[in-house]
Amino acid sequence: MIVSEDRFGFDSDSTLVGEPGALTGWGPIRRPPRLELLQGPGAPRAFDLLADEMVIGRSSQVEICIESQLMSRRHAALRRSGPDVRLVDLESANGVYLNGVRVHSAGLLEGDTIQIGDVLFVYREGG
Amino acid sequence: MPAFVRFWGTRGSIPTPGHQTRRYGGNTSCVELRMDGALLVCDGGTGLRELGLDLRRRMPEGVEAHLFFSHMHWDHIQGFPFFVPAYSPESRLHVYETTPGDDRVRRLLHGQMKSEYFPVSFSELGATIEARYFSNRELWVRGVRVRCFEQPHPGRSFAFSFEHEGKKIVYATDSELDSCVCDPLLREREPEALRRLPADLVRFIEGADLLIADGQYTDAEYPSKRGWGHASAATVVDLAVQAGVRQCAIFHHDPMHSDDVVEEKIQVCRARARTHGSELVVFGAREGVELKL
Ligand SMILES: [Zn+2]
Ligand SMILES: [Zn+2]
Repeated sequence: MIVSEDRFGFDSDSTLVGEPGALTGWGPIRRPPRLELLQGPGAPRAFDLLADEMVIGRSSQVEICIESQLMSRRHAALRRSGPDVRLVDLESANGVYLNGVRVHSAGLLEGDTIQIGDVLFVYREGG
Repeated sequence: MPAFVRFWGTRGSIPTPGHQTRRYGGNTSCVELRMDGALLVCDGGTGLRELGLDLRRRMPEGVEAHLFFSHMHWDHIQGFPFFVPAYSPESRLHVYETTPGDDRVRRLLHGQMKSEYFPVSFSELGATIEARYFSNRELWVRGVRVRCFEQPHPGRSFAFSFEHEGKKIVYATDSELDSCVCDPLLREREPEALRRLPADLVRFIEGADLLIADGQYTDAEYPSKRGWGHASAATVVDLAVQAGVRQCAIFHHDPMHSDDVVEEKIQVCRARARTHGSELVVFGAREGVELKL
């Protein structure tokens, strides 16, 4: 599965990849970046961002499917390059708001809020 | 056709790498505009280096770019020797001079690559680099009308306005707006009152969909920085409100300001716009953010 969903609380370590003991210092990333759904259909819930590209939308074909009428079928993409994740609006009808400002695309940082209609996410960097 | 704006460097004066400045970014002034198929670059601070790397990925067949320098202080030119497309024979770079016959921009880009400063000389750059001149403070790039406006700054600087199909973007950095407020004593007498700015400046900015403006200082800091050529963010808000601007990006963040301080400065700006009864959208220019207008 491309996106691992976590319904048991945001602090769960159940989706760790690799051996924690070997992953200290400047080693590989221990915990993947994550999108937490705070408001909107299905909240609260978290999505680990494991694939190179994940789409947020209303379509059941996308990786992060949220059944909100204000969401386009394919609304926005999260493109990952190493530890960095870039948010890109996919020509959606209602736009993407990063910390309250409408953006076309942006590199995401810890604690950024992403609002799409009535849906609110917060971004958590990997560690 | 939509216009795109991407911030590659938003810091003023000197690059500020580090954890405290990660959110708004540590690279100095560089903003990319894409309008009517034209690639327009405002300033060549250290952010220009990363823009160059990105352009190499986006346009491997060669880059045609139009470079507008507000002025030639370090934080606006230092990225140029590291701008990868300048080394490629496939690239065409148009460098704009604000005054006819004046070769100041080319001369100083050249000068900062003298062997005392940099290992590769300007003449070794592979790209075709051409100078173009404003005439009567105006010119056209493809279908984009570009105008320039002189600003108060030590050694002077220029703002640029880009208009295309009803969209208007103004880039106005390194301007000591507070030095040309119509009533210079107003800020002490009534700090919350709207600071009127000269009519020609307001007209230049009027109706912009996006104003990107130097708002380096807080109101409390400005008096001790008088004459250094930068504005208090509150005065930028007042200018944007007077000019009926839709969105205002506070730019050229002070190198002494951490992300938290910038954030606080922006909150104060938003409250000020509301106090003036304006729906102006104010935000802090942040490296890596791209807007579509
Ligand atoms: Zn500067
Ligand atoms: Zn300057």
